[in-house]
Amino acid sequence: MAYKWGMAVDLDRCTGCEACVIACGAENNIPTVGPTEAARGRAMPWIRVERYWEGEFPDVRLKFRPVLCQQCDNAPCEPVCPTYASHHTEDGLNAQVYNRCIGTRYCANACPYTVRFFNFFNPTWDKPLHLQLNPDVSVREVGVAEKCTFCVQRINAAKTEARADGTNIKDGDLQTACAQSCPARAIVFGDLNDPDSEVSRLSRSPRGSLLLEEVGTKPKVTYLSRQSQA
Amino acid sequence: MDRRIFLKVTAVTGAGTTLASCDAPVHQLVRFIPEETHVPGVAEWKPGVCPICQAGCGVLVRVMEGDAEVVRNGHAGVVAMGLAKKLEGNPEHPINRGALCARGQAAVQLTYHPDRLTRPRKRVGARGSGQFKDVSWEDAIAELLSKLEALIAAERRSALAFLGTPGASARADLVDEFLTRFGARPAARFELFDNDVLRRANELSFGRYQLPTFDLDQARLVLSLGADFLGTWNSPVSQGAAYGQMRQGRVGIRGRLIQVEPRMSQTGANADEWLPARPGTEGILALGLARVVMSENLRPAAGAGRAGALVDGWPAGLLDYTPEQVEKRTGVAAARVERLARQLANERPSVVIIGGAPLAHTNGLASALAVNALNALLGSVGEPGGVSFMPQVGRTNPPASRPALQMLLADLLSSERSPIDVLLLDGGVNPVFGSPQAWRTREALLKVPFIVSFAPFLDETSALADLVLPDHGFLEGWDERRPESGARVAVRTVAAPALRPLFDTRATADVLMEVGRRLGRPLELPWQTFEEMLASTFETVPETPEGDGWTVAKRHGGWWGAPATSAPVVRPRASTGEPPTPTPQRVGDPQFIGDQAAFPYHFLPYASQAFLDGSVAHLPWLQELPDVISTAMWSTWVELNPKTAARLEIRQGDLVEVTSPHGALRAPALVSPGLAPDVVAMPVGQGHEQFTRYASGRGANPVNILAPTAEPVTGALAWAATRVKIARISDPDGSLIMMAGSLHEHPEGGRD
Amino acid sequence: MSQTVDPITDDLLRPVLRTSPRFWLTVAVLGLIVAAGAGAWIYQLYYGFGVTGIRWPIFWAVYVTNFVFWIGISHAGTLISAILRLMDAEWRRPVTRCAEAITVFALMIGGMFPIIHLGRPWHFFWLIPYPNQRGLWPNFRSPLVWDFLAITTYLIGSVLFLALPMIPDFALLRDRTTGWRRRVYGTLALGWRGTTIEWQRLETAMSIMAVVILPVAVSVHTIVSFDFSMAPVPMWHSTIFGPYFVAGAIFSGVAALILAMALLRRFLELGAYLRPLHFENLGKLLLLMSLVWSYFVFSERLTIWYGNDPAEMAVFRTTQEGSFAPLYWTMVVCNFIVPFALLAPKRTRTTISGCVAASVAVLVGMWLERFLIIVPSLGHKHLPYSWATYRPQPVEIVITIATFAAMTLFYVLFAKFVPIISIWELKVGRQPAPAAVDLDVRPEAMGVRR
Repeated sequence: MAYKWGMAVDLDRCTGCEACVIACGAENNIPTVGPTEAARGRAMPWIRVERYWEGEFPDVRLKFRPVLCQQCDNAPCEPVCPTYASHHTEDGLNAQVYNRCIGTRYCANACPYTVRFFNFFNPTWDKPLHLQLNPDVSVREVGVAEKCTFCVQRINAAKTEARADGTNIKDGDLQTACAQSCPARAIVFGDLNDPDSEVSRLSRSPRGSLLLEEVGTKPKVTYLSRQSQA
Repeated sequence: MDRRIFLKVTAVTGAGTTLASCDAPVHQLVRFIPEETHVPGVAEWKPGVCPICQAGCGVLVRVMEGDAEVVRNGHAGVVAMGLAKKLEGNPEHPINRGALCARGQAAVQLTYHPDRLTRPRKRVGARGSGQFKDVSWEDAIAELLSKLEALIAAERRSALAFLGTPGASARADLVDEFLTRFGARPAARFELFDNDVLRRANELSFGRYQLPTFDLDQARLVLSLGADFLGTWNSPVSQGAAYGQMRQGRVGIRGRLIQVEPRMSQTGANADEWLPARPGTEGILALGLARVVMSENLRPAAGAGRAGALVDGWPAGLLDYTPEQVEKRTGVAAARVERLARQLANERPSVVIIGGAPLAHTNGLASALAVNALNALLGSVGEPGGVSFMPQVGRTNPPASRPALQMLLADLLSSERSPIDVLLLDGGVNPVFGSPQAWRTREALLKVPFIVSFAPFLDETSALADLVLPDHGFLEGWDERRPESGARVAVRTVAAPALRPLFDTRATADVLMEVGRRLGRPLELPWQTFEEMLASTFETVPETPEGDGWTVAKRHGGWWGAPATSAPVVRPRASTGEPPTPTPQRVGDPQFIGDQAAFPYHFLPYASQAFLDGSVAHLPWLQELPDVISTAMWSTWVELNPKTAARLEIRQGDLVEVTSPHGALRAPALVSPGLAPDVVAMPVGQGHEQFTRYASGRGANPVNILAPTAEPVTGALAWAATRVKIARISDPDGSLIMMAGSLHEHPEGGRD
Repeated sequence: MSQTVDPITDDLLRPVLRTSPRFWLTVAVLGLIVAAGAGAWIYQLYYGFGVTGIRWPIFWAVYVTNFVFWIGISHAGTLISAILRLMDAEWRRPVTRCAEAITVFALMIGGMFPIIHLGRPWHFFWLIPYPNQRGLWPNFRSPLVWDFLAITTYLIGSVLFLALPMIPDFALLRDRTTGWRRRVYGTLALGWRGTTIEWQRLETAMSIMAVVILPVAVSVHTIVSFDFSMAPVPMWHSTIFGPYFVAGAIFSGVAALILAMALLRRFLELGAYLRPLHFENLGKLLLLMSLVWSYFVFSERLTIWYGNDPAEMAVFRTTQEGSFAPLYWTMVVCNFIVPFALLAPKRTRTTISGCVAASVAVLVGMWLERFLIIVPSLGHKHLPYSWATYRPQPVEIVITIATFAAMTLFYVLFAKFVPIISIWELKVGRQPAPAAVDLDVRPEAMGVRR
């Protein structure tokens, strides 16, 4: 049976430390756009930690929520791409094929989670920072849309190894960069088609819910709510 | 066209094109022979030591082959070499357990930073102008040697001083050994947010001059007084991992967190209950809680033992700390105090944490003693779910009673002739940036005739050097750390160089050893290289089937285990200062500098999520990381409570001036709901005048305007004790860059 | 050219045959502005798309506004012309070619914007379904591909619809000119002799085109509306968008037509042909469209406000009373209040300046309407963390202005090259064949005041 990659984010464990944000950027060659462009809204963190305030001092509450591509099974970004740059794979991933993208940005508009980003300029790295670039991940050029891929390069590497060993990928062998770096183990990644995997177990949790479920995108990230007790 | 014309046109265009492509020969880079073999495209994972903070986490470096422009023997060229692609937490390491924080992930940019110093440099312009010329290592070391020989000849050995960052490590031991054998002053160590107050309190209460380790995995109730332990304080990764377990790692048990602080920190955002208390009154609150516990007989009073005896009034039952009196002094409701005390006593294991701003007050030590006593009373000391002290390898004597840097500065400023002739600056120490202007640090350092820096980057402090001998970059040299908190076993994180050096740099430890060897009367250090020194400390570790102690440690990225058996031997640090005097401390009200009428607001500088104390502000990933609470990037900001801002007619982004009795600064205002109305907060880390292209000239440094007031016993800077006033200057100037467009998830009235 | 006995031909050929210095000046000025627009686009191609004001998450703004606006304008000509032909409305005769020309040029200009707004425009041709080495057809589920097919079809149809009735006029010009002009017109006239069979064929062709072009025109702007309604963006995902956009297109198109006619009347001295009656009739149509448009807007906004969905209400509020309120209420004034005030009372409707003032207001209002559909919604999507504001940058402003200049320039050049009023149609109207006389033909319909 094919894999069905999914994720569980436990908001009771998440501390808002943003280790996931930097780990993802390092793994996926996400460019630093600099202060001028960041001020113009061109920063592109594939995973971001949203924060929302509630209440007024002294009864304030602050919520953290990591938001990344939900790899929706009914992804609104897929039918609208004129060149099939955004399409669904057998593993349940929403793939972004950079070579096919002509930059209409329709996918980015259609995404209700606003997790898609656009390369407004050709990315540059002040030498020798470019030596750190991950050779397993393409560097995108100007005019191309990009987003979280669930570290598809790691998935492909794991599949290759598993195939060479004649087995399947075992739960826990494969982690996305964000899940690997999280100190509180708030992010869990794995195969939803394996009922015994940790992500499957967590996705069945009574604390679990889907972000923007009412939009009908069928996201594959389950958020486990923070249990608050007075 | 006809054939003739066609041929003409072809010939002319052809000739023209050929001529145009014949230009000057392209300057080719020399390709050096590779010094190591890698299979292209295949990654090797090598152990490393995270250098960012004192937590001492172990990392694994993903090394893959690539072409890099390097400097070899003074020549520039290209070589195929192993390049660091990514850092991950070392899964075997007991402190970070395979995870790594945002700053640790960004550390890989230290090696490949475009503004790294690539070779030794000698100052040619005015001090601090940043004008240097390249020199060879031979000339540089020769010059350093001649200065040291001059000291010896003039019998002014004690005129040699060393300034570095704190943290137990073999490097620190080597420096201490070098200085002791030379006869120099003891090393001075400085870090803005170091926790000497807490260490001193722990030494008094429990006999351990050490940061505490919290067994959050097994706790049921955690009360944190101002400690951002999930963000920037103590050992954040280890504490974060334990916190995750505390929350959802035990079936049917969910630990709770209560946070008390005047400004909601990242940690405070995760609390089940968040209580603001007046700045500097946390110790009073702790005693109020202890009083309820004792008066209601919830815990045996004698349980506090020595820790309790150190608190004035404890044996009598803390009569001055009734809930009503505590409410008056702290602002926390009396009923809440009572309820909280009962919760701490009944929801066990419970533990109280104090750290950060509460200890940076004039009553900081007393507050820490109070919390220690409360923990002891609750039975949380040395118990599962409570506070304990990590077994230590090698660390013995505490430093002197007064901070060495302040003594150094005092000596420099007080005498006409500088008592220090040669000052050695280690990499990363930056007191010119990280100390209040009232300390006159820069002025003091400028009086030293000869300054040598080993820093790999030019910052405000290292730019004052006459001679720069850049250390290897992170991952290019041997490294070792001995963390003091975050695990239940003793830990030494050790790593061999994972990468060849990119540039013409040298390991500072090896340079010191060479200098020691080449002095007229050699210092006779017992080792020739740093590697040898590290290896020698593992001689006592017994062999296992996997190999000898040193080989095994290099392979796994460190050694960890029970220290009684098989501990590696490390030379103890030189003993300084006198033993502490255990007189009972009274937790008084905090003293603030600045008259309340003229300076109505408490000023709270805090360690920023991205930069801590500013020492990593030069990493572009961290500059672009949206601060999780403000969502600001590449920015400095002044946090104001919404009502305060409205009253002062200050709107988001407006430029404001913050003035203390010791200086003023300007920065954009940021309206933040999680802040008490009489508190103004600013993140520390920006405002570098000089710190690579990414951090220079960006923002404002709140440390500049701090009052130089100190905690009286330890002499540590009370950085939370300054009062300020605020004035609106102008409309936004565009320097506040935020990622988020809305404060709320469900904005009412469409307003953001 | 000697004057003939036929004043109509003289009047209508004068702009073609005589060139004043004012023409060259106009062309030069417009040409410069268009060149500035081209320069701005080259600047954008060279430095990267980031020179625009587009940002996360507002990924479409002024360029797509212009796209929808110009495609909308294009509905004037062909729809008006085709509908009026099918209804046999005689007053259409001086108006048809003006209208059809607007359509073709607006489509050409509007059709540039899907290319201008692409991140990698050098690959735009991947939208064309042709067998290729990528082994991929375009994604036919994507409204953008529908756009491409629909606009291309409409453009081809409109060009035919414009060009066919120009043939007899080309023949007329061929016969009236000499030298290079005669050669050019001669080629374009396709050997037209004016035989009965040729006339019959022309009429048949025009009848077929008029019927066929209608569904194409309706489909085009419906498909353009699908660019928005097919995405789950608050206040985009609405079933009303299809008819709403078509109504808005006709609305803006009629306004553009009125404005164009007024300018032609003034600068080409066509006052005898473009009479107040024409303006009044189009003015009535404009008023009707204003009411239809207002009805759609009211209907949609009432439904949203009543439903009180949080995501949609965030967008609603930002236009109603938030940061977009000034633009929103300007739009309401321009699209409803001004047209109603000027076009409902007969006194102002029967003046040309009344109609023109209303039209200018509608053009401003409709441009704002496109902008206000796109930007507030994208700036206030489901997760408020991502909310943001948009500021157009100089590149976008220059290109926008250049499109208006380009439209004017094309029009000016067209009117220089071809009689802007269809001579033969006008003459047919004045002297209908006996069989065409109908008791319903009233002199007023032919522009003759009683």
